[in-house]
Amino acid sequence: MAERLCSVGLDVGTTSTQLVVSELTVENQASSFAVPQLQITQRQLRYQSEVYFTPLIGEGLVDGAGIREIVEKEYARAGICPGDVDTGAVIITGETSRRENARQVLDALSAFAGEFVVATAGPHLESVLAAKGAGATDFSEKTGKQVLHMDIGGGTSNLALIENGNIMSTACLNVGGRLVKFDEQDRITYVSPALKELCKLTVGQIATPEALRPVAKLLTEALEMAAGLREVTSLLEKLNTREAGDVPKPPAERVVVSFSGGVADCIETTRGWRSFGDLGPILGEEIRKSRLCQGQYRLGDHTIRATVIGAGCHSVRLSGSTVFCRNVRLPLKNLPVVQVTSAEQELTPEELGNLVESRLSQQDTDSVLALPGFSSPGYHRVVALAEGLSRGLGGRPAYVALEQDMAKALGQAMALRLPKEAGIVCLDSLKLSPGSYLDIGEPVGPALPVVIKTLVLQQ
Amino acid sequence: MNKQELTAMVAEILGQMGLPEPMVKGSDYKPANPGPEQKENGFREGDFVPDVTALDLRKLYLQENAADKEGFARLKAKTPARLGSGRAGPRYKTLTMLRFRADHAAAQDAVFSQVSEDFGSKNDLIPLKTRCKDKEEYLTRPDLGRILDEESEKKLKSAVSAAPRVQIVVGDGLSSAAIQANAMDCMAAIRDGLKARGIDTGKAVFVRYCRVGAGDAVGDVTGCELVCVLVGERPGLVTDKSMSAYITYKPHTGVSESARTVVSNIHAQGTPAVEAGAHIAELIETILRKRVSGVGLHLEGAK
Repeated sequence: MAERLCSVGLDVGTTSTQLVVSELTVENQASSFAVPQLQITQRQLRYQSEVYFTPLIGEGLVDGAGIREIVEKEYARAGICPGDVDTGAVIITGETSRRENARQVLDALSAFAGEFVVATAGPHLESVLAAKGAGATDFSEKTGKQVLHMDIGGGTSNLALIENGNIMSTACLNVGGRLVKFDEQDRITYVSPALKELCKLTVGQIATPEALRPVAKLLTEALEMAAGLREVTSLLEKLNTREAGDVPKPPAERVVVSFSGGVADCIETTRGWRSFGDLGPILGEEIRKSRLCQGQYRLGDHTIRATVIGAGCHSVRLSGSTVFCRNVRLPLKNLPVVQVTSAEQELTPEELGNLVESRLSQQDTDSVLALPGFSSPGYHRVVALAEGLSRGLGGRPAYVALEQDMAKALGQAMALRLPKEAGIVCLDSLKLSPGSYLDIGEPVGPALPVVIKTLVLQQ
Repeated sequence: MNKQELTAMVAEILGQMGLPEPMVKGSDYKPANPGPEQKENGFREGDFVPDVTALDLRKLYLQENAADKEGFARLKAKTPARLGSGRAGPRYKTLTMLRFRADHAAAQDAVFSQVSEDFGSKNDLIPLKTRCKDKEEYLTRPDLGRILDEESEKKLKSAVSAAPRVQIVVGDGLSSAAIQANAMDCMAAIRDGLKARGIDTGKAVFVRYCRVGAGDAVGDVTGCELVCVLVGERPGLVTDKSMSAYITYKPHTGVSESARTVVSNIHAQGTPAVEAGAHIAELIETILRKRVSGVGLHLEGAK
């Protein structure tokens, strides 16, 4: 009865570009005498590409054609063609996560269109995927421990605070191994603008361990602050990336620190400081000596590949198995979330209709209405909600996502109130936060695969 | 020592122990000094004990001096099983014992209690009855629970003019509580779901002392293409309100049990009634299209 999905993850980072192919197994977990309950029961890594240096045209600008070549080559090696791919995620990460880069990559991959359900970027999702890909969420769920996962990459570190396997908050710092680069003659070729005011290193200067160490120390201190192991100074704010929003709030209690990303490989293994022509080995050494590694800490199941594995294996999830879908061509992409609160969903149909109408009319594109819904509601509640939502649509398609298990009942009740040809997708078991976006893929059995994203590229 | 002296002595001893004086025969017992409030559980004498059935079993952890209380609580949240109950010597704790007996009593009550007299008329259902004359006979004679009594048969015949495609039957079965909690919400969702698919349902019926097979008898009378019986499941210790839907294509007395498609576990902690109803509506459409239910439908799906 198991169904298998082929999922591809592509991570285009500041430093490296990688691709993984994984197989997701979807199975009905309910007995054959009950309403079906589909779940992703296994996420198996089928193929990992080698780690490429991200092809760049000039500093910080991604070479789209180069990316395309990598993807073509790796598809051939993995023995898959675009038609085999059911889902997947492209993530453009770190310093490269700029709009023009994203466009470049998407344009270059347009020949593969349709196969990737998502094309996305953004530090929040990246932190989430890295934490999942490194096994930090599983570790937290199994042990019940609070975990702060740090994916320390080339340009940035993505942080995720995890409790009982749930990601509570994320943050992104300009802490990475390639904030400083030098050539074979040890001549410094690049100092990231993020380090302005924080170090005296200049391009052209000769790099020595002594010259690099203070920067590595400083960056490590910022990580200690984020982990609540050092008193917070303005340093943390200075290294906070703008896109990620707030400065990370350090956890109140001692947490297990978990590491992934390229620099994580330099924590337990000592490498020559010149190995990569960057700050990485020295940064890793400083982290090992720091307070971060004095309590319980763990290296991720995957380090440099954590984010891409997260993208390949963990970006997709399933909706509830009783959903309603009619007159809608899937996949749907980049639906912005419009929230209806638990108080608002109890309004009278007239009031709710007006509220939905005014919220939807503020959106330029079709949006998904996100509601908590009711736990095991009476049918009158379903009807009232269907009535209210239907009134507020004003001819727009009905895209609704609920937390509680009631989507199919709500969907069919709406179908009775909307024109026959009206598009309706009603999903449940999904909690969407404001500011996020939803992709909905083609059905897997009775369920629909979805991807929840936090930052979406302009159309 | 005479009786009076004895009473006086007992009173004195009790007085020394700081306990209220013994009850004076024929008068209301009003202790002069109720004594300090018991801090341990917050009860005073004469208070009611708390409702043990109101406690969430998934959160109830009674083991003392646990090595990892939170860890166990996390696992326990996933199951209603009675785990982590601790013990008093070789026995259950009082709370565990009381809860077990309360749940068991609720399960028994669900079987023996009646769906209210006006349930059918209040919900616009045709009220019918099988040949069982009471609950006792219902429990001991499953065969009679599958046959409508004469009066019901007549009533149904006169109420149905044309054979409906889909006939919904609500039956008390082994849990009246399940039917009162779920049947009407579930049926409303089934009806709307069928209406949206252009499938008509006749007037629904309510059958007292109903076994699943009573749906076949209803099929005989109405000549419906498909019958959907919403019936109370045998209650367990987790819930006494679980309902099932048995869907049979071309129902008639003597139809094979393998021809039934069942959706079970319809209750607030299982599949919510309305969501189950929407699912059942879709299932009914599939069965009508494929003209087969039960095992045959599974085989059809595997083709």
